[in-house]
Amino acid sequence: MIENAQLISLSRQIALQRQMDVVANNMANINTTGFKSENILFEEYVMPVARDQDFPRLDQPLSYVQDWATMHDLSGGAMVQSGNELDVALNGDGFFAVQTPGGERWTKSGAFQLSANGTLVDLNGNPVLGEGGPIQFGPEENGILIAADGSVSSSAGQKGRLRLVEFANPQELTREGANLFAGGTPVAATNTRAMQGFTEKSNVSGVSEMAEMIRVTRAYESAANLAQKQDELRRSAIQRLGDANS
Amino acid sequence: MKALYIASTGMSAQERNVEVISNNIANMRTTGYKRQRAEFEDLLYQQITRAGSQTSDQGTLIPAGLEIGSGVRTVSTPRVMSQGTVNITERELDVAIRGEGFFMVQLPDGRTGYTRDGSFERSPEGTIVTSSGYAIDPGITIPGTADGVAISPDGTVSAYLDNDTAPTQLGQLQLARFVNKSGLESMGDNLFLETAASGPAQVAVPNSDGAGDLLQGYLEMANVNSVTEIADLIAAQRAYEMNARVISGADQMMQATSQLR
Repeated sequence: MIENAQLISLSRQIALQRQMDVVANNMANINTTGFKSENILFEEYVMPVARDQDFPRLDQPLSYVQDWATMHDLSGGAMVQSGNELDVALNGDGFFAVQTPGGERWTKSGAFQLSANGTLVDLNGNPVLGEGGPIQFGPEENGILIAADGSVSSSAGQKGRLRLVEFANPQELTREGANLFAGGTPVAATNTRAMQGFTEKSNVSGVSEMAEMIRVTRAYESAANLAQKQDELRRSAIQRLGDANS
Repeated sequence: MKALYIASTGMSAQERNVEVISNNIANMRTTGYKRQRAEFEDLLYQQITRAGSQTSDQGTLIPAGLEIGSGVRTVSTPRVMSQGTVNITERELDVAIRGEGFFMVQLPDGRTGYTRDGSFERSPEGTIVTSSGYAIDPGITIPGTADGVAISPDGTVSAYLDNDTAPTQLGQLQLARFVNKSGLESMGDNLFLETAASGPAQVAVPNSDGAGDLLQGYLEMANVNSVTEIADLIAAQRAYEMNARVISGADQMMQATSQLR
């Protein structure tokens, strides 16, 4: 059936629009601290058979395009020295744990602040979790030090250790916005080092996203062309077949 | 087709970023200025397929979900409250703070402002005032006959009066500390105001309770590093351009759609 070609190119176009959204989101977050880029995966969705009685031929399976998953690209971003004692970057696969009103969440963004009562918080004011709960500083302390293993100390001595977690399958994590990830099965980090005075930039690569975007727009145009060609084909078929004098 | 709107959030975030950077560069030579940094975060995600949802009654699960983000937003512009370099000026009423702490300034409307800018002057009555003419708190008056004003690291102001051979103590400067210095509200004129986020001011004399000590004859420069700012500016500008390219790419796709017949 001639419509099939149009429906297949339509499935391709819908998938490409989604892919463009993903590219745009990566690009919008190219300067977001601790952002991890996303890749969209497609798969072939095979319709069993296309049957047509009037034009007998081999039955052919039809393959549509279906977007299937977005994968988190968890590779490291550039480490930039900020000199701010409350900036912590994680070198490795680990995440920080923060306590949000909706439960524990994970983040790679280590641009922390202190709250008015001295708790270590993220940029939205959610407490950053240590092994034994939030990390608390007194009003007269200074010289905050965060060691590579996440242990925090100040002029008043040991303050606890940041809870760093890793995931066996980080693809299980869902994104919540606000640089937070949710879900997954956290285990204590073994392969992660904390670096004080650094921030981890977004791992989005401008060049590859640009290339991806060009590919997506071209592919979209060619799918649109295909749909148009199919339309012309059908029109000429109708004209030729409908012309009784020929 | 959300790409247009997503890229526009990217453009407006980078525009903000350039504003913050240009303000830092403009204040490179402002005494006691603390640089700001724009912090971004991603917006909500649309979960089209949730990771971990069942794909069959055999208990097989989707290993990774399908989620489409919706852009970026500027979450805050916290100040980096690191120590600026101290520069020698040899003026007797120039004071730099080494460490935490802010000078307290009595504002005309009765509020208290906080500043790291220690370039003080004398009012006609001899009171120590900021360069805007606001009296510092606690008020210290230097009599007209005073000579050789000395400010010690712990804030004690003393001077020789009427050709005395021993200095007379005129008062002691105090400093305010905040638990969360980045939470202070900037009011311009090198002044900050206390907020609910900064916590209440804890007043202490210099050199005690972690308040930092004073250096007479020095001023604290801005903590802006020109190289980092220019590097950030370039990154912001390129990010802006790339987001603009995404908008024109999305536009091309929509054009391809609209030309379908």
